[in-house]
Amino acid sequence: MSMTLYWMQNGGCGGDTMSFLNVEAPNLMDLFQQLDIELLWHPSLSSDSPRRRQECVDALLIGQRPLDILVIEGAVLRGPASTGMYDTHQGKPKKDLIVRLAHQARHVIALGTCASFGGFGVDEYVQACGLQFVRNQPGGLLGSSFRSRSGVPVINLAGCPCHPEVLSGTLTAVVTDAPLPLDDLQRPLAWYGMLVHQGCTRNEYHEYRMEENDFGQKGCLFFHKGCHGPLVGGPCNKLLWNRRSSKTRAGVPCFGCTNPDFPMSYPFFETRHIEDIPLALPNGINRAHYLVYKTMAAAAAPARLKRRETEI
Amino acid sequence: MTITQRIECHIPLNRVEGDLELRVAVEGGRIVESWSSGTMYRGFERMLVGRAPLDSLVITPRICGICTITHLTAAVQALDQIFGVVPPSNAVRMRNLALMIETIQSDIRQSLLMFLVDLSTSVGMGHAWHAEAQVRYQALRGIRCIAAVKETKRLLEIIALLGGQWPHTSFMVPGGVVYAPPVVDFQKAVLLLRQFRNWYEQTVLGCGCARWLELASVGDLEAWLAESASHRQGDVGFLLRAGRDLGLDRLGIGSGNFLSYGALPIPVDSGLFGSGGQLVGAGFVAGLGQTVGFEEQKIAEHVACSWYADYPGGLHPMIGITEPVASGAEGKKYSWVKAPRYAGLVAETGPVAERVVMQDPLFMDLARRDQGVSALTRQLARLVRPAYLFGAAEQWLHELIRHQAESFYLSVESVSQGEGVGLTQAARGALGHWVKVENGQIAHYQIITPTAWNGSPRDEHGMRGAWEQALLGTPLADPDADDPVLAGMVVRSFDPCLVCSVHVVDGGGRRTLRP
Repeated sequence: MSMTLYWMQNGGCGGDTMSFLNVEAPNLMDLFQQLDIELLWHPSLSSDSPRRRQECVDALLIGQRPLDILVIEGAVLRGPASTGMYDTHQGKPKKDLIVRLAHQARHVIALGTCASFGGFGVDEYVQACGLQFVRNQPGGLLGSSFRSRSGVPVINLAGCPCHPEVLSGTLTAVVTDAPLPLDDLQRPLAWYGMLVHQGCTRNEYHEYRMEENDFGQKGCLFFHKGCHGPLVGGPCNKLLWNRRSSKTRAGVPCFGCTNPDFPMSYPFFETRHIEDIPLALPNGINRAHYLVYKTMAAAAAPARLKRRETEI
Repeated sequence: MTITQRIECHIPLNRVEGDLELRVAVEGGRIVESWSSGTMYRGFERMLVGRAPLDSLVITPRICGICTITHLTAAVQALDQIFGVVPPSNAVRMRNLALMIETIQSDIRQSLLMFLVDLSTSVGMGHAWHAEAQVRYQALRGIRCIAAVKETKRLLEIIALLGGQWPHTSFMVPGGVVYAPPVVDFQKAVLLLRQFRNWYEQTVLGCGCARWLELASVGDLEAWLAESASHRQGDVGFLLRAGRDLGLDRLGIGSGNFLSYGALPIPVDSGLFGSGGQLVGAGFVAGLGQTVGFEEQKIAEHVACSWYADYPGGLHPMIGITEPVASGAEGKKYSWVKAPRYAGLVAETGPVAERVVMQDPLFMDLARRDQGVSALTRQLARLVRPAYLFGAAEQWLHELIRHQAESFYLSVESVSQGEGVGLTQAARGALGHWVKVENGQIAHYQIITPTAWNGSPRDEHGMRGAWEQALLGTPLADPDADDPVLAGMVVRSFDPCLVCSVHVVDGGGRRTLRP
């Protein structure tokens, strides 16, 4: 029997939908067909009239029609003053509708960093929040004890945007009832249990501490240009974007967009330091050992890297 | 004497980027008044104040998942001015190419997935082409929808080659771009572009781009349509045939004023020529007359009907203020979108405005025939815009291959203060960023989006926004029973993008949405 999917957009840019349109092998349409997913509603793609959409929502809310998968894109906007009136549908706060739908759903997916952790607008005015988190604090709109009807918490597919293969893989796991272990932030380990840095073509430069102070070069961006690649989880350099590349390969620092504190309050293009060593180091690293290792690595660097001859 | 009943109703509109609700009054089966509400407020401009200047390159693209490169372009242009740097020609080519690719994919996705899909719904019933429209454009199933998804994502691989990924990269920085891609990547981009162009010519346009660019009058267009089955069977031909049957050539007549900021600066050593140094010309046209030069100082934003504290008249965005309405003005204010005006006038922007500002003979003739720009002409301009861009895009790729050994980036010194304005054309029209830096931090950031121009509410003189005006006269028989498809098509012909257009303000807010 086919599974139903209802997709809602809230305080976001629509970028996760744009990203998902790029999903590969199968295409978005073929994917839904192969998984036998019935897309009840997507704000950008559906053609039902406003009335039919309302009838569909009403049927879901009273349980007349099963809601197997609820996908939420964009942050929940609770402002101003917790009224939710910064984001409304037909005069009513959308946040209330999300709560009601989430309690009917067998699976709830927070798509993107905004839906997962609040993302842009986590402040006292807009009061953005994620479905079960505000930044890294459990709670959010639904509360930390929330479980969907299948007994699992919200699945957080972080990223700004979320990589399309991550949503595709999650839908496949949900539909086939395959295990999908999550980390402490409720993100699937399969994609967030690795670092963005893994697979970056600048790794050779990173290894020997060939670090860049300015744009336009081939070296590593971790020490000076604010790159979060060695610090945050994500499959960017494994899956690649648009089949071709990634930001770090193309010389754009990783901004750590899968992290609950994205967007960070400190400047994006600068690395914060303690005595020439980045303030934030990869998980589990001893600072003193790291300093020794990096000093030796720089001393051991081959001339081809110093001359930036190795292609990236 | 009969009294015509006046009915008011709300229409939530999907298949636009973001949240849009229309309130319309209907008399005698036609819309006689309309109010357009952006129903979401996100707060981006406020987030930027106090941050490092370059942070706008990460934050503003995330205002919009569909115009992400365009926001990056406007942001980096403002920073180039603030840092006092002229980027090298190769960087200009790379920035232009990314913007062109984003525009082309947006034009195709909007046209096939969000606009033509309506032809497969109830509005097409009874027309000879309805069954075919269902085969072609049915949501998620239509063969043309599937083709559009497959082909546009191939095209977007070019942006990944240039800047890492799409959407949401930040590869443009003051002084140029962050990376010099190897020649082999530019060559791959040429192949990807040609592959897409072949698909576009064979199935969207139904002819080579050169043939289309010959059309200079309504007569030429009629002759082109009659000339071959492939012209009629492409998406352009289908749009023209079905659009006329639905009367879209008589609906959606807008304000008659057209605005383009211009876009795609031509590098000094490029073989291309444009208008005023840009491939897409800048200018303003009132009443389908002559094009007058665009003067950025003539832009002002009004808030009389927007949920922001009142100030007299309009304010230029460099001194604009956005302060929320805590209460009051109920019944007058009805949108989170401000009302920008050019020399005090409402203006429409987007692909058709580009054609009008450049005095394109075909589109000027269509507008004269229809006594204004209709919904059909507006959508046609979008669907054929790629034909005007492919040639320049490929030439710039070849120039990049030839000049790859030259510079892509010039180092800049840090600055503590300055002002910059980034003006460009998004897929849906004129986009501007107005930026002030003080003490090394962003002190002021104002953004006017294309949808603020097209989807603005009224101003202090009660002047309707562009699509509020365009909706008047649209048939809507029974608002309760009817699926308001035609009203939706009129608004979608502007390619609305609401996620961009809702300002960020400080605190406060309103309590009810009903105007």
